[in-house]
Amino acid sequence: MHYIEVENLNKSFTVRKKREKGRLTREKTVIHALQDVSFHIDEEELTGYIGPNGAGKSTSVKILSGILTPDSGKATVGGLTPWTERKKHVENIGVVFGQRMQLWWDVPILDSYRLLKDIYKIDKNDFENRLEELTDALDLKELLATPLRLMSLGQRMRAELCGSLLHSPKLLFLDEPTIGLDAVSKLKLREFLQKENKEKGTTILLTTHDMEDIAALCNRVMVLGHGKKLFDGQLPDLLSRYDTQRTIHVRYDTAPDFSSLPESCTLQKEGDNYIITYAPAELPTAEIIARLQQAGRMQEMTAQSQNIDHLIARMYREMDL
Amino acid sequence: MKKYLSTFRMRWKMETQYRGAAIGGIVCQMVFGLILISVYRALYQGNPQSMPLSAIVTYVWLQQAFFRMLLSSDNDLMDKIRTGGIAYEMCRPVNLYGYYYARIMAMKLTGSLLRAIPMLIVASLLPEGWGIGAPTSLPALLLSLLGLTMGLFCMCALENITMGITMRTIDFKGFQALLNLLMATFSGNILPLTLFPDSWQPIVKLLPYAQLLDAPIRIYTGETPVAQAGEVFLIQGAWLCIFVALGLFLWHRNTKKMIVQGG
Repeated sequence: MHYIEVENLNKSFTVRKKREKGRLTREKTVIHALQDVSFHIDEEELTGYIGPNGAGKSTSVKILSGILTPDSGKATVGGLTPWTERKKHVENIGVVFGQRMQLWWDVPILDSYRLLKDIYKIDKNDFENRLEELTDALDLKELLATPLRLMSLGQRMRAELCGSLLHSPKLLFLDEPTIGLDAVSKLKLREFLQKENKEKGTTILLTTHDMEDIAALCNRVMVLGHGKKLFDGQLPDLLSRYDTQRTIHVRYDTAPDFSSLPESCTLQKEGDNYIITYAPAELPTAEIIARLQQAGRMQEMTAQSQNIDHLIARMYREMDL
Repeated sequence: MKKYLSTFRMRWKMETQYRGAAIGGIVCQMVFGLILISVYRALYQGNPQSMPLSAIVTYVWLQQAFFRMLLSSDNDLMDKIRTGGIAYEMCRPVNLYGYYYARIMAMKLTGSLLRAIPMLIVASLLPEGWGIGAPTSLPALLLSLLGLTMGLFCMCALENITMGITMRTIDFKGFQALLNLLMATFSGNILPLTLFPDSWQPIVKLLPYAQLLDAPIRIYTGETPVAQAGEVFLIQGAWLCIFVALGLFLWHRNTKKMIVQGG
């Protein structure tokens, strides 16, 4: 038995449009947010959950955290069905919705934490220790007496995360936790999540659009599109399917002659730079470089692998998302 | 139980966070009270009513002092429903009905205590005919306090139903405007219910809005004799049961059909 088991989960929403002029009824569209989604996650796994906007990622997180009731299908987390045994289930989970707030806007965050302590019935000593540990790791010590409304976005996100982890949940859902964070905060957050996963054995399900998050944190990724699961496996495996091209930027002293370049590669000119895109599987890199050298006296050359965002964009395109 | 008490403490902190607003509220309510009393004094000079003026003045002060208990809407909670922030509340190991009940109660209680205590002190120092009168007897005082407590429980249950309806209608303004109108009229806040025509009395006394302030004030001023206080509690208890049952039912259904707005 796996820690999280999801079987044939379905959920649809009805969206009503504004009534058009001259018509009596409003147009209704049914959006299938989830269609027969099944997967399982073991304890201590750190899984990334990706897909374009509206793919159904948040819906599945909401179902698994007991907020929404699915139309049909089964799901258990640690043997409990989230939507029927909500109260018992949520004691073990922590949730961070990147674009919502759980802490109180007007009062110092420490007061919010104290309330959470009572809500989750955390023992006083455990609370003190955990708070110490979290404020240390998330750099929140000086902010404890500051009301949430006076914090920057990055500080707020760290404060929110701390709030979600106070009761040491066994399972953590993160819905776009790095939204709007600067590079330093992002790196810190990632480092922290990794530590939580390794040292505390927290199972983490991470939803994000930031592929760097996924690359840095997750061994396993699930891709969701139009409510269906499209891929489930290792990130490198996913990427290697689409990562078939390389680009070389070259600059020459004099105008080059590219007549010897094979037709299978594409050539673009950008200022003084020439950008050559080719597939190494068809055309060995050594071959390309030799041809480029023949074209003229090279001044500068850089080879690049494709940006991960481009790969994902290509994947979404090819999967018709 | 502790978690529900904690929400109280939180609300108290939030109320005291904006002391200026609290002081402003007190001053506003005091001025309101004085204006109303002036109006009744003028009315009585022209045409004395069956109820003594001092009882009306006391009625007005008590209404003003506990005005915040009447005033519905915790905008925080309404906003949570509107924007989908309620998603977080669903992830807490609490009974949602109870949790919201506690928060509504906390708002009403902390907000009104913060204002009522200083106001009642000032009102008791005002000269005869302007200030609040003493209760008819000690049992009357105690029973009216009990009545106020019961009334508060009723009001919170009623507001929790509003909250449950808001979860369906999403926007609360229209519904609330209607409720506020009913409330202002039938709570005795605009015109003391004791001044309503005699033929109306049996009905207005039974309405839920009369239970919060009107019923206990009548015990305080002696309008309702101590011996009849039991009847008042019976009416309050009946409303409380109806409202809680309806609220629980509504919340239970809502959580099953919930959609979270805004992604």
